[in-house]
Formats: sequence, C-alpha cells, structure tokens
Amino acid sequence: MKRESPKPSRLRRDLNRMWSDRLLYLMILPALIYFCIFRVWPMINMRLAFYDYKAKGPWVFAGLKYFKMLFKSSAFAQILRNTLIISFMKYVLLFPAFVIFALLLNELRSNAFRKYVQVVSYLPHFLSWVVIAGIWMSFLAPNAQGALNQIRGVFGLDPVDLLTDKGAIRWILFLSEGWRSLGWDSIIFFTAIIGINPDLYEAAALDGANRWNIIVHIILPALLVPMTTVFILNLGFFMSAGFDQVYNFSNSAVLSVVDILDTYVNRVGIENAQYSLGTAVSLIKGVVGVILVLLTHVTSKKLTGEGVW
Amino acid sequence: MKKKKRFSLFQIVLMVMLFLLTLTMIVPLLHILARSLSDPLQSGSMGGLEILPRGFSLINYQVLFSNKNVVPAIFNSIFITVVGTLINIGLTIMAAYVLTRPGLVGKRVLMVFFIIMMLFDPGIVPEYIVIRKLGLMGSQWSVILCQAVNVYYLIIMMRYFEAVPLSLYDAARIDGAGHMCILFKIVTPLAKAGIATLTMFYGVLRWNEYYRAGIYISSISKVPLQVILRKFVVDGDVTTLVGTQNLMDYNALAQLDYTALQYATIIVAIVPILLVYPLVLKFYTKNVMAGGVKE
Repeated sequence: MKRESPKPSRLRRDLNRMWSDRLLYLMILPALIYFCIFRVWPMINMRLAFYDYKAKGPWVFAGLKYFKMLFKSSAFAQILRNTLIISFMKYVLLFPAFVIFALLLNELRSNAFRKYVQVVSYLPHFLSWVVIAGIWMSFLAPNAQGALNQIRGVFGLDPVDLLTDKGAIRWILFLSEGWRSLGWDSIIFFTAIIGINPDLYEAAALDGANRWNIIVHIILPALLVPMTTVFILNLGFFMSAGFDQVYNFSNSAVLSVVDILDTYVNRVGIENAQYSLGTAVSLIKGVVGVILVLLTHVTSKKLTGEGVW
Repeated sequence: MKKKKRFSLFQIVLMVMLFLLTLTMIVPLLHILARSLSDPLQSGSMGGLEILPRGFSLINYQVLFSNKNVVPAIFNSIFITVVGTLINIGLTIMAAYVLTRPGLVGKRVLMVFFIIMMLFDPGIVPEYIVIRKLGLMGSQWSVILCQAVNVYYLIIMMRYFEAVPLSLYDAARIDGAGHMCILFKIVTPLAKAGIATLTMFYGVLRWNEYYRAGIYISSISKVPLQVILRKFVVDGDVTTLVGTQNLMDYNALAQLDYTALQYATIIVAIVPILLVYPLVLKFYTKNVMAGGVKE
C-alpha cells in the first residue's frame, strides 16, 4: 500500500489503524452491546409514547393522544411543579451548604478532629435510601419516642409528625438530602481548596489579609471551576429530583406535594401498567433534561471556558 | 496574644458546631443498634436519644436469621452484588482502557455515544418492556445485566488510567505485548487504587439496589435484602417477616417489638457497608484526609 501512494488517504490510514487495533474494538464491544440492549433499545421503545400498547402484535399508532391526556390533566401540572420545587430546593438552595462545609473543614486547625468529621460525614452517602428512610422515620417518629419529639419535649413543645405533614415534607427531603450528601458532595470543593498553592496564602499574609479576605479573594475564586461543574451536573438531575429518596419518603398523606415525574411514571407505568402514558412522561422528562444540560454546558463554556466534558 | 485567644474561640465554636452535626449522623444509628439489641419487653418505650440497649437480647436477630425469607434474601444480595460487581468492573476496565489509548480511531464517536447514554434516561417503562422481551422477568440476571456499566464510573476509571505513563505502554507495545497483557500486567497494577475504589462504588450500588429488583424479580425467595427491608421498614408490612399465622395466633413471635425487629433488619443491611467503608476511606479519600495543606 505504501508503494501505491506516497500520501495514503485519511480513510485508508484510519482503516489500517482500525484493523491493527481490532482487539481494542473487541474489548469495548461488551460495553457497547450492553448499552445497545439496555439503553438504546429502550430509547427506541420510547416511541410507545405515540402508540397504544399491545402485548401481542404490533402497537397501534395513537398520535399525540397520551401527551394531550397529560397536558389536559391537572395532575401533570402538579407533578411537574413538585419536581421543579423539590429539585430547586435540593440542587440550588442546598448547594451553598456543600461549599460552606468544605470551607469550615478547611478552617479547622485540629487534623484529628477534621478526620473525625470526615469519617462520620462521608458515611451516610453509602447507605441506601431505604435505610436512610428507616433512620429518618425513627428520628421523626410521631409519638414521644422519636428523637425530634424527645428534644421538643424538653422545651415543652407538643410532639409533631413531620413525615405526614404536607407543609414539612419537602423540607424533610431537603434536610435528609443534606444529611446524606453534605460530607461526600463537599469533597470536590475540599480537594480544590487543599490544591491551592500555599505561596498564595503567604503572599496574602504579607499583605495583611485576614481569614475572611483569604476566603473571598483566594479560596472562592479557586472553587469557581468545581462549582460550575457541579452546578451543571445538578441541572442534569433537575427533572429527576432524586427518585429513590422521594419514593422512600412519600406516603399517601403527602403524595400530592411530593409526587414527582419519576414516582408518577412508576405508579402509572409500572403499578397500573399504563405503559404509553408512563413512557410519554419519561420522554418529556428526558428531552427537557438533555436540553437543560446542553444549554448550561454551552453557556458555561462561553462564560468561564469550563464545561462538563 | 489577644489575637490568638479570639482565634481559638472561633475554633471552639466551629468544633462544637461540627460535632453537633456529626451527632445527627451517629446518634440515630446508635439508637437503632441499641434498640435492636434490647430486651423486647423493655424496648417498646425507648426514646430516640437513647443509645444504650435496655437489657440485652439477641432475640430480634434470632427471629431474622430464622426467617425463611431473610436468610435467602441475604444470599441473593451477596450473589447479585458479587456477580454484578465483577461484570461492572470487567466491562468498565476494558472500556476505560480502550478509551484511553492514544490515537484510537473513533474515540470521539465512542465518547459521544457514552455521554448520550449517560444524559438520556429512557425511563423505567421502556426498560421493563425490554426485560420482558428478553425473558429475564423473574430472574436475578435482569437486575445484574440491566446495570452493567455506569458511565460516571467509567469516566472516573478513565481518569485513573490516564495517570499511567504512556511511555510504559509504548515500550510494551514495541516489545510486542498484546492489549490484554498490557491491561493486566501494566495498567491494572498501576491503577490499583482506582480499581479498588470503583469496585467498592459498584459494590455499594449493587448491595443497595432495591427498585428494579422489586419490579423484575417477583418471587420472594429470589429478591435481595433491600426489597424485604423496604417492605418491612418503609411499607410497614410485618406479615413478610413475622408470618400471617403467627400474627393470627398472636404467639411469642407476634408479640415482639416490631420496631426493634425493623431496626435489626436495618443493621443487617448496613453491616456490609460498614465493612467496606474503611477501604473507601483508604483508597478514595486518602488524599483529602491526609490533613490540610499539602506540599
């Protein structure tokens, strides 16, 4: 081949390269097959949103029937609102807590104590939401036995049942998310802080900067990049709002305020076997979710030069 | 001198605050452990802040481990976790190795494909239909296979593999070493910390899986522990654990402290996590725990 043309075409060169790398393609094949069967095939199945499901024989085309059904029902508007509110609380309101926690860890002078806080606060991240729901149900038990009500008792307050309280349950989701992720999700920020060049601190000290100046002028700017990354990734979860948590914390008393897209899909699509309706919701969720991520990715790349990938 | 005093006051306030925060994580866990180990006759009135058992009894654990659903569920969880994690790590290592080879034709296309797989979630219903079409319904393989690769973890693995010097790779290629040989003799040993970390991450995901197992595996003898835990703790369904007959007879078994029995189930589900947790600290968070500013 070399003799035939002194300047082999790019395609030729690539094909040669691919042939010599054929074992590499074979090695990545299992992962590709997995995604094709368990991700791409379901994606193709999403056309079910436009069809009536038939267990035997081909699905029957139904056009926008299920989307019209959704947009006409008041339930869908409520579910969308719940999803956005819960996501906003967990991914926007809670967001500063992770940065603050990393800053506080960094301020600690005792290494042993910092290590203790880290060991304890990273643990909840590894517990399943089923276990966490169990722990919180114990903590918030409605009778005088729950830890919260015991503490309230000390101050002469009546016992409360927050898990069935429509006004409180979203804040319980907010707090339990913080409880689970505070330590673990702050790692990325803490890593960025300890990666700061110590010379900067020395220079700042010479200029007479106090701790607060250092935080504002040295540490926070160093956190800008990880903050952007995490924020964009969070937007990717915005339409999900954390199914596993909500599914395990919800009950019939509070369903109307915590029912999110994914719990609705589970109830309608799996429990009631309305496959097309469930798929229609997932399709809306998926498309909006991808648009959100791409929009923020592009904006962030323009503004800060940093994207997610 | 004055300045130092103010500084240490801030340190004390900070430490007290963070200590209280950690108590919210430790106390509920200790209370759950304490009540599960208490004498059922006394544990009924235990308050949520009590962290020492009242009396001592292993009856809750005896009931759990003699239950005909719980013991198989533990073995099911172990099976799904071990086999599932092996598949996860095998596929992830191979894919990460391929995607970090220099000059691979089509790398961009492959990465875009994986990122689409990560960003776009088709939802549970279309996946459910696939599982049914494949005839995996009712089998533990449904859960094992339908989560074989996690793209986030694949990307983390790639970061670890990228840290392996390419000069070693080039030298081995010149010596005529095959890709499998390079992967297992050069890359794997050098990315040991990464592989250990991701094995644990995958293992935890597998152990904690309950949702798909609950949908795809209908028979109670095949479900993992988390499914039983959810039924029992979240749904408050005592019949699975205590048995309808015992409840009707209202015998000794039915007179247990159900809350304590629930807590014992929670403890059983947490123990494996606690066992691997020190390894996570050792491999993944070693650097952030090494203490403050590093040179």
